[in-house]
Amino acid sequence: MHFKVQAACATLLPRFWPGIPRACGGPGLALIIESVSKSMTAGVRRSVVAAAMAATLVGGCASGDTGAAEVWDPIETPNRFVFAINRTVDMIAVRPLAVMYRDGVPEPAQKSVRNLLDNLGEPVTAINEVFQGDPSRAATTMARFLVNSTLGLAGLFDVATMLGMKRTKTDAGQTIGIWAAKGVEPENGGFYLMLPLAGPSNARDATGLMIDYAIDPFQILPIALNVDWFYYSAPRYALTVVDYRSRTMFALDDLEKNSVDYYAALRSAYTQNRAELIRAKREKTDTKSELERRDNIALVR
Amino acid sequence: MLLLACRRVVLSLAVGAAAAALSVLPASAADPAQLIQSTATEVIEIIKKTTPGPARQADIQRVLQTNFDLPYMGQQALGANWNKASEAERTRFLKAAETAEARAYSERFGQYGGQTLTVGKVTPRANGLFIIDSQLSQTSGQPIKLQWEVRDAGRGPRITDVKVEGVSMVMTRRSDFNSYIQSHGGSVEPLIAELESRAAR
Repeated sequence: MHFKVQAACATLLPRFWPGIPRACGGPGLALIIESVSKSMTAGVRRSVVAAAMAATLVGGCASGDTGAAEVWDPIETPNRFVFAINRTVDMIAVRPLAVMYRDGVPEPAQKSVRNLLDNLGEPVTAINEVFQGDPSRAATTMARFLVNSTLGLAGLFDVATMLGMKRTKTDAGQTIGIWAAKGVEPENGGFYLMLPLAGPSNARDATGLMIDYAIDPFQILPIALNVDWFYYSAPRYALTVVDYRSRTMFALDDLEKNSVDYYAALRSAYTQNRAELIRAKREKTDTKSELERRDNIALVR
Repeated sequence: MLLLACRRVVLSLAVGAAAAALSVLPASAADPAQLIQSTATEVIEIIKKTTPGPARQADIQRVLQTNFDLPYMGQQALGANWNKASEAERTRFLKAAETAEARAYSERFGQYGGQTLTVGKVTPRANGLFIIDSQLSQTSGQPIKLQWEVRDAGRGPRITDVKVEGVSMVMTRRSDFNSYIQSHGGSVEPLIAELESRAAR
């Protein structure tokens, strides 16, 4: 199947996008994911690698078009179904909660919650920054974590930013995107996937989510210390959902109101956003191809 | 006397020639940045002086029509389907899409709460394109990265795209419209009907 995909990609070569032949499939991606996953436990590793291998082998031609590539969505019908369920749950439960949170909870409290959740996510960010080849940033992130956890009262106050350490956030999906083989465009994240509750994702980012979950010390520790799910995981993830929903409410409402097909608009917006995050990091080493890409898009338009 | 008149004539001719020469110079890099800044200023003025409603929407639509290249953006948003549409359909589409965009921007800008737009680097690209980076300050959190695409097609610089944190408005609309067209039999007519019904609301 891998070879058929490659052959199909070769014939669809558009004139103005020289990177196309290598953008299909991505055996390099699989190798990188394998090496990253070697550090994990066997059970997790198997499932993660299986997912990643599946994603890369059926990588397909997300960029068969010229200029604006349509996001590759082979499982569109199940995705739309999950999306419909997500929207219903959102409308009934999550959104009203987020609105109550945004309007009812005082602003400093909301900030503290956000700082707390961000602080819990700093170790994962630091680990990913190391894998992205940015050890100085990883050191800053760990310093932020230490300062905020102690001086900032377990992360409620963002003392580190006041001390000049800027906050960065990254995840394993971006790490995979950065390490992908040179011809794989950041827009190409594998097949599009609508996750229940978690929302839009793709093969690369879903793999990233699983990796992040597996390496998160604040997920491993409570289990090791036998802390009941009810006292730690449930409040943490509930707060994350509500906080995230209240933050993205404006953008998502805007997108929903002004699109004729919300699913497609969200799919496009998500893919572009993720690509931008990855491109910003790859750009440091890849400026020439980025400018070429922009020139090519201008030509095609 | 004749000599003075001659000199004055020569002087005015020289000034005229200089002015003419300046006006045929290619658009300098300052123009696109100025366009962005003036657009932002105009919009802020409108938001301050009007209440949300049809009047504000009409004002913002005017700003969009002068500063953005709406027909070009509409054509881009239709993508490959532009060639399949008839002339009448194209006109109707552009009109309906324009009204929809104006309403969308009117509502978005209505949320404006005193943020400042800082215009940054201007990068000239091939084909008369300029990419302008800018930042919109936020009251809480990181500033939002906005990237403007300005194109000079002979009628002066016009904005042709805005990318908010990497999400291009035109690309998103293109995906949106394309998906709608595909799921409604591949013709542009249902899309136009939908846009017109939304504009009429």
